[in-house]
Amino acid sequence: MTIPTRRASEMPASLAHELRNALACIQQFGNILVDGLAGELSAEQREYLGIMLENASKIRKAVDSAQDGTSRPLEEPTNKIERVSKLEN
Amino acid sequence: MDRSKILIVDDNADIRLGMQLRLKANYYETCFAADALSAVAEAHKHRPDLIVLDLGLPGGDGFTVMESLKKIPFLAAIPVIVVSARNTPGNQNRAHAAGAKAYLQKPVNDAELLAVIRQALAEAVGMHSPALYDRESL
Repeated sequence: MTIPTRRASEMPASLAHELRNALACIQQFGNILVDGLAGELSAEQREYLGIMLENASKIRKAVDSAQDGTSRPLEEPTNKIERVSKLEN
Repeated sequence: MDRSKILIVDDNADIRLGMQLRLKANYYETCFAADALSAVAEAHKHRPDLIVLDLGLPGGDGFTVMESLKKIPFLAAIPVIVVSARNTPGNQNRAHAAGAKAYLQKPVNDAELLAVIRQALAEAVGMHSPALYDRESL
């Protein structure tokens, strides 16, 4: 009984570690692009990168919540309607 | 202008590259290591002004790197900032006990990392009194 219990608690930590490393890369390079360190971006490109980073941030919050055992609700996107209308145009 | 040199120690090549781009954009020189053994060797070779150190490394871990650095007189005083995906308070406390100036969790906020680096470099040249910094204290 002891071994399954220990494994159950170790798996999320291991998964969280892997996710944080991947998120670190996504945010690092996303911010590099947003800041223009790899060249200028168009307004549209900046907007899409902003969406990507915003969602990376949500994943990070979910990882934090999962690891500390809480279930904090994620914030609802505030610009969802605007994005839908842009896609349709 | 005399640019500070920062040794980036991380086994993830993408993170090393991303950190290099960010640090270069802020006028720092960079050098690299991808495992615990080469971290000490590169520190010996380049004599960096500061080390950004991951904890999970092949051939040891960040703690063994800090222990090794402390045993070498001319490397012992180099400020170390730990940047790790590990989250346990135990790791943070252990890093501080080993002499780390700060413990930041991945994914790191760039502005926060740069602020901690500037502070640690300033302290290293005696501009400020020594102190420990955490994400919560900034």
